[in-house]
Amino acid sequence: MKTLRQLLPLLIAIVLLVAFFAFFVPGGRFLTVSNLLDLTQQISINAILAFGMTLAILIGGIDLSVGAVVALAGTVAVAVLPHAGWAGAAVAGMGTAAAFGLVNGTCAAKTRMPPFIITLATMLVARGTALRFNEGRPLPVPDSETVFLNLGNARLFGVVPVPALIMLGAFALTALLLHRTAFGQHLYAIGGNREAARYVGIPLARRETTVYVLCSLLAGLAGLIHSSQLYSAEPAAGQGFELNAIAAVVVGGTSFTGGIGTMPGTLIGAVIIGILDKGLNQAGVHFSLQYIIKGLVILGAVWLDVRRRK
Amino acid sequence: MNRLSLLFLGICGALLVGCGKQSVESKGRLFAASFQTMNNPFFVELNDGIKQVVESHGDRLVTLDAQFNSLKQKGDVADVLQQQPAAVFLNPVNWEGVKGTLIEAKRQNVPVIVVDAPVNDRDLVLCQVASDNVEAGRLACEALAKIKPDAKVVILHLSVNKACIDRVDGFKAEMAKHPGLKLLDVQEAKGTTEGARPVMRDLLGRFPDINAVFPINDPSALGCISAIESAGRAGQVTVVTVDGSQEALRTILAGKLHSSSAQFPRQIGKVAAEKAYDHLAGKPVEKDIKVPVKLITRENAAEFLKGP
Repeated sequence: MKTLRQLLPLLIAIVLLVAFFAFFVPGGRFLTVSNLLDLTQQISINAILAFGMTLAILIGGIDLSVGAVVALAGTVAVAVLPHAGWAGAAVAGMGTAAAFGLVNGTCAAKTRMPPFIITLATMLVARGTALRFNEGRPLPVPDSETVFLNLGNARLFGVVPVPALIMLGAFALTALLLHRTAFGQHLYAIGGNREAARYVGIPLARRETTVYVLCSLLAGLAGLIHSSQLYSAEPAAGQGFELNAIAAVVVGGTSFTGGIGTMPGTLIGAVIIGILDKGLNQAGVHFSLQYIIKGLVILGAVWLDVRRRK
Repeated sequence: MNRLSLLFLGICGALLVGCGKQSVESKGRLFAASFQTMNNPFFVELNDGIKQVVESHGDRLVTLDAQFNSLKQKGDVADVLQQQPAAVFLNPVNWEGVKGTLIEAKRQNVPVIVVDAPVNDRDLVLCQVASDNVEAGRLACEALAKIKPDAKVVILHLSVNKACIDRVDGFKAEMAKHPGLKLLDVQEAKGTTEGARPVMRDLLGRFPDINAVFPINDPSALGCISAIESAGRAGQVTVVTVDGSQEALRTILAGKLHSSSAQFPRQIGKVAAEKAYDHLAGKPVEKDIKVPVKLITRENAAEFLKGP
């Protein structure tokens, strides 16, 4: 009940935005089933990244490397795809992502370096590694790789996009982990007061490392979907994805200083940003004005949230 | 709610209503254009060319900026496809990655016209409209052969870019017709002023007899000129290039650049839009459309120069 009350303003915002665009998108083409299904597909990558980012921000950290890890995991997967098949590609992509998560997490847990700087550095390393493939040019996914291509493009029963289902699966797992396990409670404790968490015996280093590995694994998953959706891996892809994910997290009510936030909130944050992108495109708003409106909405959402908590 | 928050919501509301209104009131058929970036005067002009034709038919054009993000481009185009546009003009970020978008457009029977950069899946698009880059390279070589029939040339390449590959192909094809011309070397120079400068300096040191250079675009030509000047070889090395930017025109008039084969982005946009209307009127459209380029030298540079 408490969570529902917290999420109520966000849900109202969704209803208002949908009503607004239903009215202003010409021909009533916004509120159609196929358009809303498109929406679930379009937000899936950002939402998956945002779930991981929520965990990192909750413990008072941040992961700037997710955008570059999306590109690297996708590129590695497509590079091994012709040799190892779709399963091998998935393992290679996710494994690469996990390795970066392990480095991020170990550095964050064992050293006093701030996560912002650690992940800024690993972002550069991941980006550079991705650009080593195929001289930085896109690698096509062969048409024969139907399983891999279905990951981003197929629709269950011809209706529900597969990436949206993957997103819901990732949501269910991360939400259960955060809200129904002792592990989740530990993350809140670490984000709330790091020293206190250490004194009550929470294994800080292990928890922190796990969070960064999870965050990178989700980025790897997003990378697989990304290269499937684009029928190719793009070493230069994913620039700025980390910022879009952070936007979804904070619009969804997670506190940037850690300790406060929910997974359903983040999902709703990703939906709000997706509706905004789609609606503004379809209402024919000039692209320069789109940035301004999006910026103001993020600012407004976070500000209302901060006021409410006071 | 205090006053500040009301003011804030008021501003947001006014902005949203203002731009919503603008679109509801507009009539005519919808066209959409998606560019890899709008942070480049070339694409702004290209878009203006499309817009001019579309609006002259009483229709409207929505322009989308992909910000070099293929996924955003895919989403942007999916959004406008939901509104059943008459046609989509596409300048792909990733020539492999647009495949899904092209398949979806084909499924919905929306014609796609590719502008400037080519795509791999040619049979999924109505047509591709771009500058005739082979001709641009050929013109540059011809201009060089006219004034220095026995020139010793280097080429500064950007070999990841299809347009630049075409320019160099055109240049080399024309070279074969002038046995006096001699190619000393081809080097990568990133297609930028900063990239070209050090490469040209090294080449000047390595080949004391260089007397001509073909950098594949205006920015790298400017880098070459700077290198030539700082090596004290000004006036001895002829520079011929491709683009026809305003900065290059001024450099031509100053006598530092011999020629630039100009591209006409506005013309590319116009031709693309006209082909869309031809197709909608049921007329056949050719697959590959090359927009002519024009050699600009000291004689005609002034007429292409805009403003002071």
